[in-house]
Amino acid sequence: MANERTDLMQGTLELLILNTLARESMHGYGIVQRIHAAAEDLLKVEDGSLYPALYRMEERGLIKSEWGVSENNRRAKFYKLTKSGQKKLEAERANWNRISKAVTKILRAT
Amino acid sequence: MMKIALANLLTHHKQLVLNVEDELHFHIEMLERKYAEQGMSTADAKAAALRRFGNLEKVRKQCVHISRRNSLLRRVLKTSTILIALTGLAIHTLNSNYKIARMGSVLIMIAVAGRLLLYVRGLSPSTFLHRTNSLLVVTDPPDDGSQLTNA
Repeated sequence: MANERTDLMQGTLELLILNTLARESMHGYGIVQRIHAAAEDLLKVEDGSLYPALYRMEERGLIKSEWGVSENNRRAKFYKLTKSGQKKLEAERANWNRISKAVTKILRAT
Repeated sequence: MMKIALANLLTHHKQLVLNVEDELHFHIEMLERKYAEQGMSTADAKAAALRRFGNLEKVRKQCVHISRRNSLLRRVLKTSTILIALTGLAIHTLNSNYKIARMGSVLIMIAVAGRLLLYVRGLSPSTFLHRTNSLLVVTDPPDDGSQLTNA
């Protein structure tokens, strides 16, 4: 299954992004690195594809962005969670836990 | 007046595109730096960064399109159509004079047409491609057998 695209549930990347931004504001590169590190490289986000997702989330008011200075003194765009994004994260987390519990129960039972 | 508005619009669009490009290039530069630190030559690091990033032009186009859809000007235009529609509705319902009430109807129609135009101009393939799950890739677990679990 090496580097195989998989049909993860709709909105999984969005949940990962929201969760990553819950701790602190970050630029796109930082978000990808944090997700890879947290997943111990088992789950990878295609770097470029992250941006349309970020822009759509900003459009929907889940995150907001502002330009700042990166760790290497370069101009970079930082994203942070909005209140609406925080609510969405809580709802999506609860939803994910509910579904994963249900699927685990089914897999154990059969 | 029109020239100034057009110039402002063009400057705004140019700035929007530059911001998107700057953001994407920052990501590629960071990848290049990471690969160079791992011992790759400058050329190899650049090639690896671009490969890892994926289709830069496609991503750039998508981001510019979404930004335009989400721009301040667009939001102002959307709000204006709502205000025009509400004004039209008020004129239409509060006036017994046929001619003035008719003006209200015209305002409503202008607002609806404007909103439709904004909607149609905002459409693109990316509007319909909301399959964010397809951007995730699952890789082989490490040899020690540890796996992601939902425990």
